[in-house]
Amino acid sequence: MLPLAVSCGETAGIGPEIIARSYSADGTPRFAIGNPTHFEGFGVSVVPIDTPAEARAAMTKGLPVLVHDIPGPATPGTPQAAQAPGVVSAIARAVELTQSGAASAVVTAPIHKKALQDGAGFAYPGHTEYLAALGGNVDVVMMLASDALRVVPATIHIALSEVPTALTADLLEQVIRTTAKGLTSDFGITAPRIAIAGLNPHAGEGGAMGHEELDWITPLIERLRADGLDLTGPSSADTMFHARARQGYDAAVCMYHDQALIPIKTLDFDRGVNVTLGLPFIRTSPDHGTAFDIAGKGIANPTSMAAAIDMAAQMVARRAAAKVA
Amino acid sequence: MRPKLAIVPGDPSGIGPELIAKLLSEDGVCQAADIILVGDAHLWQRGAEQAGVEVTLNTIEEGAIGGFEGLVHLDLATVDPDQVQVAAVTVAGGTTSLRCLDKALDLAQAGLVDGVLFAPFNKAAMTSAGLNAEDEHRYMARYLGFTGYHSEINVLDDLMTTRVTSHIGLKDVAANIDAPGIQRAIELAHATLARSGKARPHVAVAALNPHAGDNGKFGSEEIDIIEPVVKACQDRQMHVTGPWPSDTVFLKAKRGEVDAVVTMYHDQGQIAIKLMGFERGVTVAGGLPIPVATPAHGTAFDIAGQGIANVSATRQAFDLLVRMATTAKTEAAL
Repeated sequence: MLPLAVSCGETAGIGPEIIARSYSADGTPRFAIGNPTHFEGFGVSVVPIDTPAEARAAMTKGLPVLVHDIPGPATPGTPQAAQAPGVVSAIARAVELTQSGAASAVVTAPIHKKALQDGAGFAYPGHTEYLAALGGNVDVVMMLASDALRVVPATIHIALSEVPTALTADLLEQVIRTTAKGLTSDFGITAPRIAIAGLNPHAGEGGAMGHEELDWITPLIERLRADGLDLTGPSSADTMFHARARQGYDAAVCMYHDQALIPIKTLDFDRGVNVTLGLPFIRTSPDHGTAFDIAGKGIANPTSMAAAIDMAAQMVARRAAAKVA
Repeated sequence: MRPKLAIVPGDPSGIGPELIAKLLSEDGVCQAADIILVGDAHLWQRGAEQAGVEVTLNTIEEGAIGGFEGLVHLDLATVDPDQVQVAAVTVAGGTTSLRCLDKALDLAQAGLVDGVLFAPFNKAAMTSAGLNAEDEHRYMARYLGFTGYHSEINVLDDLMTTRVTSHIGLKDVAANIDAPGIQRAIELAHATLARSGKARPHVAVAALNPHAGDNGKFGSEEIDIIEPVVKACQDRQMHVTGPWPSDTVFLKAKRGEVDAVVTMYHDQGQIAIKLMGFERGVTVAGGLPIPVATPAHGTAFDIAGQGIANVSATRQAFDLLVRMATTAKTEAAL
């Protein structure tokens, strides 16, 4: 397998640390992209490399770090404006190397939007939107995945009061279709079963607590079903996520951020992975932030980064198997 | 002080009578309280048969209830045995549900019992029988002539959740988040926890918006409304914290760091509670003058009459009710 390309993320955050600490000599081949000195001090040998082709051999000695221009030392907790352009271009380089066939997938460490806005004029609301632009302005969805559950929020970082207007039939259709395709191409599920949450409590209870289900969510689900998609819902969100209910679907499409994030984080906080579906390449990331408060202390939990790397490797294997078949 | 509790069988088409029969045969139940079973003898016999356990009905006259001890039974005639059907929404099932509940509330209001436990009701059956209220909580408040603030509280093990908004459309939630509403939900959690024996409970308040609004970037309700209420509670020496992002606040609960989470809307709390313990959840009629508890699950028509219903939520409801009723009784005695 080609190595995974792991962008370093915000240098003042826990990115370099969790990348270093999720390294093991016999792990999935990967290389970080960043300033090699930023990865030092976490009890892992760092091996600077100049091309991705060196990564596999370097893995036996330590964490391979593809040298990238990010000037100066890491300053935990305090972002450096001079480093912001390098943090952004490390993401673009990971994508480029993956698309050119030098790496197998993109794994990203957390970025800090404000630091990148201030230091590099970064105009995207987040990683996902930037990657969608790099991938050719494709329709993407954010999936949170763990061993126990996969969820896709149809609306994400907006106020709860804006959800009912932001959520449209066109948006939901795109989210459902992109999710179904991604489950097939990247998770190897040939006929994915998708559960759709209601927007309102008790999924509206026949119009008693909100009308969106009756007005357009149910008709949309019926139309997509007639088109061959295996969908259930709209279901009462509070009874969709217990163990028995989760057996009935491969992913749940939720209407807003916390409807999706409450169940996955409450179930499996450490091993949640952020997956972007719809891109021409595979991308995963840990589902936490830069954690400035604990950066540089050597106490960050690398579990989610390790899970993101594992999941990227599994997705690469499935895409490869699908191509052969 | 050993409390006296009234227990009603719930809708006989469901698993209610079976659950109560199982509850009564659990270790420690009849030792923890004096219990009066309120309802037709055939309903309790039916439950015992379904559960495969013995329930001895020590029937007493209504006039002799004062100072009862042990396990006794108040016989009613609310439904003909022939009218009881398994796994069916019936007017008869709704009628017996309501009349048994009414009698238990009468006993509580007369000071003859310290709390009421009911097995699951079927809302459609009760509605057809004249519930004439949004749910059984509103029905009970009206029956008791109680006009103060009350709201259902969802309980899982040692965690309670109260809500600022409940059964309304999501588009109406933000407009209904206001300081008095948050204050009431905090105080309800606080008072109910105190009643259940927590001297200085930690009440965590959930945010409305993702990432608690991220400093106003996705919604300003946290800054404008929620934070000032939390601050005011802290100024009154209450252990209240928040607003916390709702996708991680339940992890604090899982770790035992908080006793209650005040949620802004229905699914925020219900998703987490049902996910963490679908089998064990309890609902408390928060704010009512008498302690009332019930298992959070429904009548489970799919398994009714088979003897396989899981008693754990009913047991949790009973144990919590014993604590609440004991406190209420102790306070009344002071």
